[in-house]
Amino acid sequence: MSKSVVIAIVDDDEAVREAICDLLQVEGLAARTFDGAPAFLAETEADFDCLITDVRMPEVDGLELQRRLRARGSSLPVIFITSSSDPVTRRRALEEGAAAWFMKPVADEALLQALRSALGAGPVDGASA
Amino acid sequence: MVPAPLIEAGAGSDLYRAPLPLRATIPHRIQDDPSARSALDISDARELIAKIASGAPPLGWIDTLLSQVRFADVNDTIVQMLAPFAGAWRMIGQPVSAFWPPESRPVLAELIMAAVADYPTGAPRTRASTSLGFTDCEVTISTSEDDASPDILIVSVGGTVMDDRSLWMVRASEQRYRNLLHHLPFALLQVDARQIGAVYEGLRRSGVTDLQAFLDEHPDLIDTANALVMVTEVNASAVTLFGVDSVADLVGPVGYLFAASPESARRVMTARFEGRRSYAEVMKLRTFDGRLLDVAITLTYPRPPERLDVTLISVEDITDRLGTDAQLRQLQADYSRAARISMLGELATSIAHEVNQPLSAIVTNAETSLRWLQRPEPNLSKVGQLMSRVAESARRASEIVQRIRGMAGRNAPEQSALDLNDIVYEALVFVRHDLETRAIALTLQLGTGLPGLLGDRVQLQQVVVNLLLNAAQALAMDQSAGRIDVVTAISPDGMLLFSIRDNGLGIAHTDFDRVFDSFFTTKEDGVGIGLAICQSIITAHGGAITASNHPDGGAIFTVLLPPIAPE
Repeated sequence: MSKSVVIAIVDDDEAVREAICDLLQVEGLAARTFDGAPAFLAETEADFDCLITDVRMPEVDGLELQRRLRARGSSLPVIFITSSSDPVTRRRALEEGAAAWFMKPVADEALLQALRSALGAGPVDGASA
Repeated sequence: MVPAPLIEAGAGSDLYRAPLPLRATIPHRIQDDPSARSALDISDARELIAKIASGAPPLGWIDTLLSQVRFADVNDTIVQMLAPFAGAWRMIGQPVSAFWPPESRPVLAELIMAAVADYPTGAPRTRASTSLGFTDCEVTISTSEDDASPDILIVSVGGTVMDDRSLWMVRASEQRYRNLLHHLPFALLQVDARQIGAVYEGLRRSGVTDLQAFLDEHPDLIDTANALVMVTEVNASAVTLFGVDSVADLVGPVGYLFAASPESARRVMTARFEGRRSYAEVMKLRTFDGRLLDVAITLTYPRPPERLDVTLISVEDITDRLGTDAQLRQLQADYSRAARISMLGELATSIAHEVNQPLSAIVTNAETSLRWLQRPEPNLSKVGQLMSRVAESARRASEIVQRIRGMAGRNAPEQSALDLNDIVYEALVFVRHDLETRAIALTLQLGTGLPGLLGDRVQLQQVVVNLLLNAAQALAMDQSAGRIDVVTAISPDGMLLFSIRDNGLGIAHTDFDRVFDSFFTTKEDGVGIGLAICQSIITAHGGAITASNHPDGGAIFTVLLPPIAPE
């Protein structure tokens, strides 16, 4: 039997992370929310099937979070949702193995599509869609 | 009850030699006589004198007689003796009883009766008297030298001065006082408020403790006071300020002073009633030539044990100064606003992020709601929950927009009671994201139970934002992990304290004198107005801002602001 899918959501803005959590819920996807990268890093990443994270956050930002996961040897798919339109940061995130990159506000269908894709296959760049 | 003016001053007349409001004319001028002399007008007392002469003096006839006999003229010497602070104008036309010392009144009354009995042939009569500032005091009475003035008696007072030196010292002191009064560069009015003082005494005796409340019910007392309180002397500056031709134009009821500011009269009265030593305020003054001025008036009230009931009122024209102040305030406001607009531009990305966060949550919540509604069995309770989150996020976005509008708006500086910690939180909206982008750790150590302060919310937010930005930019020039510590507290001397410390390279010692100068910057793309604006805003709030280096490294900016004074 396969274990149920759990998505991790990391965003320092409570309203944003709860909104994404609710979106996943309506599609029958379980999710856990974290108010920052350190809280998530304290968890065992193997318990999660995908990570949705903000980029700009206090202490540890989203890119650094992805780097630390990769440094641990984790291949957990990472989807970035950000207010930043900086193309350099986006390119770097994708080069460093991001599954997808979206600008806020993200369209629900696009996010779910990327999620399904990440749970199965390769990267999606929502910013160039 | 409004008594008629005591005198009618003529244009160009001198204070002591204005035409006299007499029924009897006085051919004999007493001014140049070196002894203390006065002319008494007995015309109103004729009936009483006849009654006394007939051998049936009524009870208390001395005081009654002296209240009906008036001063027709006085020379400087007798003014000095009897009413140095009231002045000649307060004596002429007034009953002798108002000024003559009680212990010497029987002597004067008897001399008057004797002189009337002698008329027209009597020689001068002299009697010893107590008091009046002399030992061996003598009062001499004679009828007028002019037969045409049977109602005028000339009274002179003489004697030996016990301590000649002290008299001269008093005279010299009086002269210095007069010189001072007349040559002061601002308008000075000397008023005699004894009559209203007596009214206040009566009010107190009848149990009035709150004059404000009493005036609410009896507003006519203000008119009464304006009529009863007499300006007895004014200086040359007052003549110029009030736009009149001579001193005499201003001698009389004080009402003209408050014509454009009736509420000021009320406050001045209350201050005296409450026994205050002095009172000052800024008010409007309408001059006699029609100008409306802003003036600062200061009143110094008499108080026991001095007993001399002389109130001094200084009036300073501050119209120009207020105009300059207003222009300066406007310049400062414009300058601050220009800096705010520039600051908002610098923070556009950070602000966009702040607004975008709730908008993002709103979009996702709305789309999720649609998904719940499109299900075969819509989950309405879930939709309701999501909608309330939508409303909450929309409100948050709206508040952020309001704050941005406040920062960008052309609102005139506005004083309100503020909480320092609120100001800090509100300012963070603008910079939080910028700090995160720069990976700067921000710690807040906000004091609890701080007193409020009085100030302009937007300008003080601007100071906090400026200082945070300044710290962030200082850290950007450094390589180490950035950190900013914000503290609010109450300083040891009771001021509100706000400090921002960074862990950057600190301020170069050669720059300490210049950090708050306009157009001083160490940043390549800096304009150098941020800290200058901070200083001008804090100074305008009665506070101080200082820059220093922390012993453990980094710069620390400390702002001290006065708390709202306790009630």
